[in-house]
Amino acid sequence: MQIYRVKKTFTNILVHLLLISVSIACLFPLLWMFGSSLKTQATVFSDMSIIPQQPHFENYVTAWIDGGFGRYFLNSLIYTFTVVFGIVLVSSLAAFAFSRLEFPGRKAFFIMLLAAMMIPLPGSFVPLYVLMVKLHLVNTRLGYVLCLINVGLSFSIFLLKTFFDKMPKELEDAARIDGCNRLGIYRHVALPFVKPALAVVVIFNALNVWNEYVLALIIFNSKNLMPLQRGVMMFRGEFLTNYPLLMAGLTIAALPIIILYLLMQKYIVKGVISQAIFQ
Amino acid sequence: MSKFFHLKFKFCYYLVICALAFGFSLTGCSSKKLSSKPTINVWHWMTDREAAFQELAKRYEDKTGIKVNFELYAPSDIYAQKVRAAAQGRTLPDIYGLLGEKRDFAAFIKSGHVADLSEVMNEENGVWKECFFSKALEVVEFKENNTYAILPGIYGAPIDIMNIQMLYNKKLFKKAGLDPERPPSNWEEFIDNINKLKKVGVPGLVSGWGEIWMIDCFASNYAFNIMGEDKVIATLKGDVPYTDPDWIKVFSLFKELVDKHALVSGVVIMKNKVAEQTFANERAAFAFNGSWCINVYDGMNPHLEYGVFLPPKVNRKNPMYIWGGGSSFSFLVNDRSSKKLEAIKFLKWLTDKDQQAYLSSQTKNLPSNKFALAEIPKILAQFADGMDSATHPSIWPVNEFPGVIEALGKGIQLILIKEKTPEQLAQELQAIKEKESSRIVSN
Repeated sequence: MQIYRVKKTFTNILVHLLLISVSIACLFPLLWMFGSSLKTQATVFSDMSIIPQQPHFENYVTAWIDGGFGRYFLNSLIYTFTVVFGIVLVSSLAAFAFSRLEFPGRKAFFIMLLAAMMIPLPGSFVPLYVLMVKLHLVNTRLGYVLCLINVGLSFSIFLLKTFFDKMPKELEDAARIDGCNRLGIYRHVALPFVKPALAVVVIFNALNVWNEYVLALIIFNSKNLMPLQRGVMMFRGEFLTNYPLLMAGLTIAALPIIILYLLMQKYIVKGVISQAIFQ
Repeated sequence: MSKFFHLKFKFCYYLVICALAFGFSLTGCSSKKLSSKPTINVWHWMTDREAAFQELAKRYEDKTGIKVNFELYAPSDIYAQKVRAAAQGRTLPDIYGLLGEKRDFAAFIKSGHVADLSEVMNEENGVWKECFFSKALEVVEFKENNTYAILPGIYGAPIDIMNIQMLYNKKLFKKAGLDPERPPSNWEEFIDNINKLKKVGVPGLVSGWGEIWMIDCFASNYAFNIMGEDKVIATLKGDVPYTDPDWIKVFSLFKELVDKHALVSGVVIMKNKVAEQTFANERAAFAFNGSWCINVYDGMNPHLEYGVFLPPKVNRKNPMYIWGGGSSFSFLVNDRSSKKLEAIKFLKWLTDKDQQAYLSSQTKNLPSNKFALAEIPKILAQFADGMDSATHPSIWPVNEFPGVIEALGKGIQLILIKEKTPEQLAQELQAIKEKESSRIVSN
């Protein structure tokens, strides 16, 4: 009994040490980012403390004004909101169809969608840009949003389909007996069933869209349409980087996504656990 | 419970629809003002020049009524992709900067994306052309019988220039009892200075030699000094082997630096950013760096006292050459632009003395207009003095095989960690050179 207790304590200590070191490794960059945002350009290279003795909170105001964060913040909010909504709507409908409906070419279409996941975005920049020019969607919000919805669909459909596949057939039958048509089953039965997966889709795509910059730079010609990351880039020069303002900008940019993650944390954990159980 | 979920779902649904409608309504918010004067659109990637460009655009509008719209796209690698995509889609702006090698530049000219400015440059006895440093202009110039088969001409206007020289810390010089106004003028003096600095605990030379191009640059400077320009070019052409004693002398300089402990430790894996940090924090007395460092040091340590000098000569009979001009920043005019003439006029104004002096004072970069030198800060002027000694691989009549350049850089790194001798490197380079040359002949 004694040996068992010692063994258990020892294992607990090891596990906790491992978890603590992983947590530190995850949190340290965030802390360093926050600490550097409170330093000056000169002290960021000489003051090695995490939080400086004389914090320069005014860096946040300077970063907000100089980086034009007001406009970019609103743009990013609009893009994130519309793209995530678009992805959730289209991918949930498509995943439901792939999972629960029988139609010719179902497997082939699904494989095509999976194949799309393999194509890296930078590889398709030039053809995508030429297509946007032909559709007169270059330098428009609509063009950017449509591109991003397209980018996020493959993974989201794949994820949601695995959840829809596990939905008991009896639930669907019961809903049908209660008078639900296919769309009704999707809305009243299937969607609530995959709520944890939807949370994963939301957070994953929100994160992607919020941090997206490369496609925006290609599609937009006007800075008025650019997302938040453009403001952050203002502090990164070819040879000189203004680290305190860059870090302040990054902290501002990271905050909404951290808040979103904390709000949806419960669902994400549920989603991951239920997927593990399914598998 | 399900009723509650239904209501919540409905609420969220309408909220999102409202947000969508609001979002897309903003698309049409930017009103397009009708104006008789055209707007010139300019694309660039230089974040640190953005504020100065905006100010100059304002001044130009006040003067001429023509609006100039500078659009910044950073970082540079994505900017390069944007320009290529826009070229394919024929949506390039009136003026733009181009990143890449000379062959990319040539491809753009061949595709009709770049206007030939030669005629305007040569107007009024070439007033515009003559205001530039010749080395800066060479970057945008294609001469007769060039290897890219481009019609001879000047295809851009340089905005600012760069060169790479040696720097020394005046405060650390004083500490070692050396004259802070007298940097070493030859190699022996340089090594002697380092010995004196070491005695007071000051490390010698730092440079980003973890980056192969920095090593290549240093080695190339000394190759030109030790054997002269003709012999270097003859080596590139394959007429002189790398096993020539002069080349071994060049590689031996690196061995000497290691043997005499003249380098800051870790220099062989050091990125230039780290090397800059080391010099700015006064942890090295000498640095080998480009003129962009003024901006960098100013940001890292505004109180740093330093001076600029040409790399100290080994052979006093030959001049010392430095790399310069090649990495200059130039603007090109879109040949398909409907506002081509206005764009050229704006470029002419932008590269004029006053605007160049303003740009230089604001961005701490060397002006491309040599007449603006009188009005720029002292340290910049010191860098500009070296422009007469500037050269660059992009303007040499022949270039080395990339494989040889890579082997040279890596080989010198191995000399720095004492894993290769100068003689071994010379033999290895010659073998690679012969292999590459025979491959070309057989093709």
